[in-house]
Amino acid sequence: MKKRSAAFALITAAALALSGCSAAQPAGDKTITFMGWGSPEEITAFKTMISQYEHKYPHVKVDYITVPDTDFATKLQTMIASKKTPDVFYLQPEKVMPYADAGLIADLSSYVKNNEVFKADNVWKKALDMYRYDGKSPGKGAVYGLPKDIGPFTLAYNKDLFDAAGITAPTDDAPWTWDQFEAAAKKLTHGTGADKVYGSTPYSVESAVWSNGGDWLNANHTKVTVTDPKFVDALQWVADLNLKDHVVPTPAEQSALPDYQRFVDGKVAMMGIGPWNQGGLWNDAKFNWDIMPWPVSPATGKEAIWYGSIGLAVSNTSKDKSDASNLAAFLAFNKDAQQTNIDKGQAIPNLVDMAKNNYLKTDKAPANKQEFIRIIEDYGRRATQTYTYNSDWFGTFNANVASVWKGEKTAAQYTASIQDEMQKQLDDGIAQQGK
Amino acid sequence: MRRHETAWGLAFVTPIALQVILFCIVPVGIAIYAGFTNWNGLSGRQDFIGLENFATFLTDKYFWIASGNTLVMLVPIPFYLFFGILLAVGVHRGTPGSGVFRILFFLPYISSIVALVVLWKWIFNYQYGLVNQGLALIGIQGPDWLGDPAWIKTTIVLMIAWKLIGITSIYVLAGLNNISETYYEAARIDGASAARQFFQITLPMLTPAIFFLTIIGVIGSLQTFVEVQLFTADGGRDYSAATITYYIWQKAFGSNELGLASATAVFFALVILGVTLIQFRLSRRWVFEGE
Repeated sequence: MKKRSAAFALITAAALALSGCSAAQPAGDKTITFMGWGSPEEITAFKTMISQYEHKYPHVKVDYITVPDTDFATKLQTMIASKKTPDVFYLQPEKVMPYADAGLIADLSSYVKNNEVFKADNVWKKALDMYRYDGKSPGKGAVYGLPKDIGPFTLAYNKDLFDAAGITAPTDDAPWTWDQFEAAAKKLTHGTGADKVYGSTPYSVESAVWSNGGDWLNANHTKVTVTDPKFVDALQWVADLNLKDHVVPTPAEQSALPDYQRFVDGKVAMMGIGPWNQGGLWNDAKFNWDIMPWPVSPATGKEAIWYGSIGLAVSNTSKDKSDASNLAAFLAFNKDAQQTNIDKGQAIPNLVDMAKNNYLKTDKAPANKQEFIRIIEDYGRRATQTYTYNSDWFGTFNANVASVWKGEKTAAQYTASIQDEMQKQLDDGIAQQGK
Repeated sequence: MRRHETAWGLAFVTPIALQVILFCIVPVGIAIYAGFTNWNGLSGRQDFIGLENFATFLTDKYFWIASGNTLVMLVPIPFYLFFGILLAVGVHRGTPGSGVFRILFFLPYISSIVALVVLWKWIFNYQYGLVNQGLALIGIQGPDWLGDPAWIKTTIVLMIAWKLIGITSIYVLAGLNNISETYYEAARIDGASAARQFFQITLPMLTPAIFFLTIIGVIGSLQTFVEVQLFTADGGRDYSAATITYYIWQKAFGSNELGLASATAVFFALVILGVTLIQFRLSRRWVFEGE
């Protein structure tokens, strides 16, 4: 009996060793928890990057937790309250200030200067700046997160539909004006009912407003400026693409079918996309597509659009802060990990040299990848709400703006009706920061 | 012997008691305390600010919109009671096809609510949904069930009613089985009609079950949350679908105002308690207390 159990143990041990299961881990092994959200493609990409990390740093095991994005904030805050904050977690730029003030996230400044994974001057400055905060205003000072990505939002188009309508896409040196965009969208719109093809999905409000010289807030982010005619005109123009020109789906149709699905079904010719859409479109789009510069406002002749980002923050209470920072840096900047992002069509590399070489040289769509880079280097801006301590004012604007899309209120009526409430919420946010 | 029994009793009660203390009393205590602070849920800092939070939400336009929406969630209660009783009586008598109805109506109750909402999103999709496609066949353009402020509440209310008909009929069925056959025999000997038997015997004997169902129905409807979160983005256009629990959740996790959320939650709990007490008081007039 005794013999048999010994043999059994031996076989089990051998099986474990053969299967690569770390039955006998060397002392000092660490487990780092990492929590994020994402599309199935993003989660697969991160699983690959994590295995690349574990391969390079065998003394660390990563416990990767994914939560649906709608539940993420709830779950994270519950974990923080119960002192079980993940070592590394996703953080939106707009949360850097409250999280840093609460002492929850580690200051990674010294790490950015000196580490084995990357050179800080080879990282998009705009990406790192999203996570800087000097205790007063964002964009300056210490670094509280490393960018998972930088996502310049571009305008994609269905090349086959463009060709059929006899339309040539604009180029960087000769972008369309709003009028040219409208004319093209009208040409592209045809059909009825379920077969209807629209010229464009809803136009980016940021692009329109900024291009027209307006903004939600004033330059130092203390006053709501949505009643400014530059803002109002741009908002009305976006609404009129549906209300007057009928070249974008109605609000009800938008809620019926997501923009992305409409685009891959070939039922809309133009749609705003980010680099994270590339992989999905490779699989889903059965037509040729590319990206083009954003149209310019006739008032200014200038292009404008936002770039987004999600950060990798390191918990201040992490027991292994240096390993956790190292994991964040690896996911953000390691060459293999960045290559995974390219291969899976998830993001453009955070490393400037890789973006300009490896990424631009790939032969998959879009052909005009340079446009993504141009937005980062040239005219891309971070969203206005990432400059404020609490973005409730922005949420209020968005939650009620549908009355403009439906034509129940003009842009002027709407902004006049909501300005005071937004200002009050902005003031509340500013007061919150002071506390 | 007696001491032995007490020990066993305590042993069995302890886990439940611990559970109640840990997951009920302690959190409620923390919430009450947090309601008087400016806690943001992130830092440990909690400054006592008295009744400020209560003043904040009571003067917040969105709190009142949410309160109005929450009241609308009570609308389906009479409907699901009515149809639940109808279903139970039908199933109880063994009407042909009752098995099919049983499955149809019990299914929503045992399914995951997330799956149900996804299903309903498809049924009520503006362009591709079953309902609007059906209406299109008879030449009617259906409304935007999920996007229009006037219709989103209707959609949620319909779904709650549909979901609760099944569980209502289970309780009513249990109530029906408890009614002694002797009453009906006596009634039949006296020549009472089927309708008379129903209104004079069945319905009065069911009142305890119905009372219980109104209590849990009111509390459950007032706490509607998942439907709102899944059907809408940000509580629906113009906050048209947001309920008080949604408001609390948004304040706690969206705006990092856990103190304010706690105060609202405490207030809301007191309101529910009040409503329930009123129901109990009113119940004396209509609930049959037994022979």
